Amino acid sequence: MKRLTAYVLGISLLLAGCGGPVDPDKAQESIQVIAMDTAMLITTYGERSPAAAYAAEDIIRDLEDCLSRTIETSDVSRLNAAGGEAVEVGEDLRFLLREAARLSAETKGAFDITVAPVASAWGFTTDSFRVPSQEELDTLLKLVDYSAVYDRDGPSADSPAVSLGPGQSIDLGAIVKGYAAGKIVGILREYEVPRANINLGGNVLVWGSRPDGTPWRVGIQDPARPDDKNALAGVLELTDSFAVTSGGYQRYFEENGKRYHHIINPATGYPADSGLASVTVAAPAGSQALWNGTMCDAYSTALFVMGEEKALDFWRDHQDGGSPFELVLVTEDSRVIVTGGLADRFTLDENSGYTCETVSYETAS
Amino acid sequence: MRQPPKLRPTLWDFLTALCVAALAVIVAVFQWRGGQTQGLTAVVSVDGAEVDRVFLGYAAGEKTYQAGDYTLTVEYDQDGAQVLASDCPTRDCVHTGTITRSGQSIVCLPGRFILHLEGGAADPNAIDAVLG
Repeated sequence: MKRLTAYVLGISLLLAGCGGPVDPDKAQESIQVIAMDTAMLITTYGERSPAAAYAAEDIIRDLEDCLSRTIETSDVSRLNAAGGEAVEVGEDLRFLLREAARLSAETKGAFDITVAPVASAWGFTTDSFRVPSQEELDTLLKLVDYSAVYDRDGPSADSPAVSLGPGQSIDLGAIVKGYAAGKIVGILREYEVPRANINLGGNVLVWGSRPDGTPWRVGIQDPARPDDKNALAGVLELTDSFAVTSGGYQRYFEENGKRYHHIINPATGYPADSGLASVTVAAPAGSQALWNGTMCDAYSTALFVMGEEKALDFWRDHQDGGSPFELVLVTEDSRVIVTGGLADRFTLDENSGYTCETVSYETAS
Repeated sequence: MRQPPKLRPTLWDFLTALCVAALAVIVAVFQWRGGQTQGLTAVVSVDGAEVDRVFLGYAAGEKTYQAGDYTLTVEYDQDGAQVLASDCPTRDCVHTGTITRSGQSIVCLPGRFILHLEGGAADPNAIDAVLG
């Protein structure tokens, strides 16, 4: 009987201990955040996943407080209201102003944060949509000039003050979520997060791989069917990457039967009409995270403005640089164009009705 | 010197051991099940706070949520969820239609309302995030 009791107790202890140590892939935190005028989903894995997820939320909230154009006390609002006078601002805004200037120069003005007064005239800031007159646009276009944004004391100054040109205002909406994603990479490293899926309103950072070891599967919304959540142009398989999509289908209004979307061409003052329906930019998150996240966000807008031919030329011109990126372009004539680095990581959705072309570094095929 | 009495297990000892064993089995089964994928579940949050969690396996019918100044009516069934009606200005939440897969969300920005699907059977072809 003693032996039987010992066996029973031994098996009992063995069974009760079967849970073992916590599997880091089952230690998962998923939080939903509404910020920066969009809905965000932050999913982190690992033993410190809750702390990491909430630290990521803190970064987003802090950046929104500092960089929002609609929060009166933000650095951006104070700068916009300063009437051209110098304003002391935080390091986040100074970094973004420097990078925005670089991105604007690179894209020959296709990306320009000083297009804000024009976007406001169309009502995209306040949801009071209207079509401005050509005269009004001509007046406002004189204010669009990224070179007039001035870091008074230089990037290494102790007294950080910047100024805009008279009448100018800026909007960082086309760059701030990418910058936030880049900063979140620092959190993932600090909290030793092995894998994460951070979706900042369609601005995605995937870290590591899925729990089953396969790449994350990131869908690209079919721009022709924006209201159908199940309608995809295709799927990217990514690890340790940023991916951002810009498209005219995301935000628009209609007047007299014509559709006007929110991506304004800084050269014309009108919504970009480049023949592209959406532009997806992907880049590695493992190195130069702050720059690559910011770059993906800005390039997706700029290349949408440029159109297919110029966008692909721009991609080719940047393949030898230190920050390679890849593209998926969806055209208004139902083609999907994938650049070489993503060719084996992109799968066209068979139900999309699109044809797929792969573009190499040297030539188009 | 007097020898201590020889202890013999009684029926109560045997029953106690059985209870311990049964408890251990229950704990082990609970732990194993906890590691497995749960059924498709709708998680509803308003202004960042979770306000409801609906397991779709048993769900059928409508629920109403107050999200800031707006009222949203959500219909659940075993396959998914949709916002049937909302008095928010944009009604993007209504236009989203039915969501059926883990990872999909319905968002009402004016009401700071998010309905997110999670869990469900593991699917290697599932989409983890959508761009755009």
